Amino acid sequence: METIVNTLISGLISGSLYAAMALGLTIIYGVSRVFNFGHGVVALIGAYLTWMALQSFGVPFLPATLFALAAMFLLGVGIYRLAIKPLLQKPNWEFSTVLFMLGAGILLENVLLQLFGPRVKSIPTFLTGRLIIGFVEINGHELALIAIVIIFIILLSLFFKYTRLGQAMRAVAQSIPGARVVGIDIDRIFSYTFGLAFLVTGFSGILLGTKYYLNPHIGWEWMVKGFVITTFGGLGSTTGAIYAAIILGVVEALATLYLGAIWVWPIWFGMFMIILLLRPQGLLGGRL
Amino acid sequence: MNALKFNWRTLVVILGIIFLLIYPLLGASSYMRHLFVLFFIWAIVAANWNLLMGYAGINSLGNIGFLAIGGYVSGILAKTFGLSPWLTIPIGGLTTCLLVTVFLGLPALRLSGIYIALLTLIFADSLPSILTQTREITGGAMGLHEIPPFFPGMTKTGAYYVSLTFFLVILYIVYRVIHSSSGLAFVALRDSENFAYCLGVNKFRERLKVFAIASFLTGIAGGVYVHALGDISPTTLGIEPFLLTIAMIELGGVGTFAGPILGAAVIVFGNEFLRLADTLRLTLLGALICLTILFFPGGLMQLVDQVERWVIRLLTKRRDLSKKE
Repeated sequence: METIVNTLISGLISGSLYAAMALGLTIIYGVSRVFNFGHGVVALIGAYLTWMALQSFGVPFLPATLFALAAMFLLGVGIYRLAIKPLLQKPNWEFSTVLFMLGAGILLENVLLQLFGPRVKSIPTFLTGRLIIGFVEINGHELALIAIVIIFIILLSLFFKYTRLGQAMRAVAQSIPGARVVGIDIDRIFSYTFGLAFLVTGFSGILLGTKYYLNPHIGWEWMVKGFVITTFGGLGSTTGAIYAAIILGVVEALATLYLGAIWVWPIWFGMFMIILLLRPQGLLGGRL
Repeated sequence: MNALKFNWRTLVVILGIIFLLIYPLLGASSYMRHLFVLFFIWAIVAANWNLLMGYAGINSLGNIGFLAIGGYVSGILAKTFGLSPWLTIPIGGLTTCLLVTVFLGLPALRLSGIYIALLTLIFADSLPSILTQTREITGGAMGLHEIPPFFPGMTKTGAYYVSLTFFLVILYIVYRVIHSSSGLAFVALRDSENFAYCLGVNKFRERLKVFAIASFLTGIAGGVYVHALGDISPTTLGIEPFLLTIAMIELGGVGTFAGPILGAAVIVFGNEFLRLADTLRLTLLGALICLTILFFPGGLMQLVDQVERWVIRLLTKRRDLSKKE
């Protein structure tokens, strides 16, 4: 009983981190139909930038995060302007963007490797101590992570619901011709979407970096996990991605407890196959 | 002008085959023969991948997984059960074809573009953990070593000629597939999907057919890989071989028959020079893929076509002039 509850809680914690990570993928796909195959490395860049600001420049946590997020936004807009935009105008854009982002991911991963070296790094946790209620034990830091993720998701959904930019993004996600008819500049929305998605992804990378160790190669693992989650929840559906992340996080924790960590991946793959066979559009197949 | 084009290409192919046939007799070093064996294997993989990606529009990202399944099945059967490689290679190919078509093809091909890419990528990604789980049979992270060669006491020249034979035969099959009714069906689907449906093209069935063929042939390439090189390990499924093959197809030219073969030649031999760049190698590869896609989407074949058109224009112009005189 005790172990099960504690396992479920650790599943919830990793699930909420995965949810934050999958959001970036979902936002880009939902609005522009581009699937970001460099996602993991983008998350890593956010984490490494924060680490750099913390360790090398010695700034406190909050400014370091803000610096990293601003840089991620610019990176997203830059990649869209320089590469994705010209690719979108060619016929086979769906797959050429995939291959381009794969190549860019490798490129950036190795740039990180050159700059920071192969040794593992970690972003220091911002809370110590643990919360003990009966037999339930939670790390104070992990509790803070869950709270941050929840606040972050609420802020994002408020942004999509009430700001003009967020509403425009949703309009583009629903129908590009329709959005064009009401006078939305598609190109501008796409570039803001890439910026926003990179920012969200970078933020999730920072959160992951406080819980797990960072090295330049870990991004691929995160990315493939993000892929399973977004497809499981329904491509382009943010709520679906959040549910899927929590389900898969709990499954991961249970599989690790009963079968061993090595079985997590085959089980994820099995669940992924089943959902694709039974319900190809995912749990909540829909739009943003 | 068309006749000129035709003759020119056939001539190059014939000269190329003759060169490959007599190359070991010209006193090539053992290292070069090894590189050529690698080239043959990767050209088969790239050509089949391109058959899926460039012709059939199946955005598979898991073809290295097919190679690994074929290689492991053939290697285990030959090493542990002592069967002849000539028997195990086809078995490996068939196993790959069955496994991949049932577990990937049937679910994925009903779905559209991006799902296939995701499913195949995740499939190839989950293979290493399965391999470490079945350590007793597959050797786990260490991989399989000392896999018996095609015939006892095989030299590098023997490996060269055996893989050359597989290379020629398989590429011929790929060529025939491209020019078969399935190939035509894909051209029709690409040009006008609705019209193709009206003509009675069954998209799912055609794609499944090509998927089965490509996975079978890639599985065979896996068999050739293990028996020619002698070992296989989960690193084959790593990011580097995957990217190298993508780079071969992109650099050579997606959707052309000769492109991936050209690309395989450039990448296999170029990669050896890039070893000088050491840790920067993957950075350069990533940059190469990005730049090719952005600025040079037709790849090397586009360049070949351009040069050819230019030369022909030059030649015909001269002929016109001579007529006038």
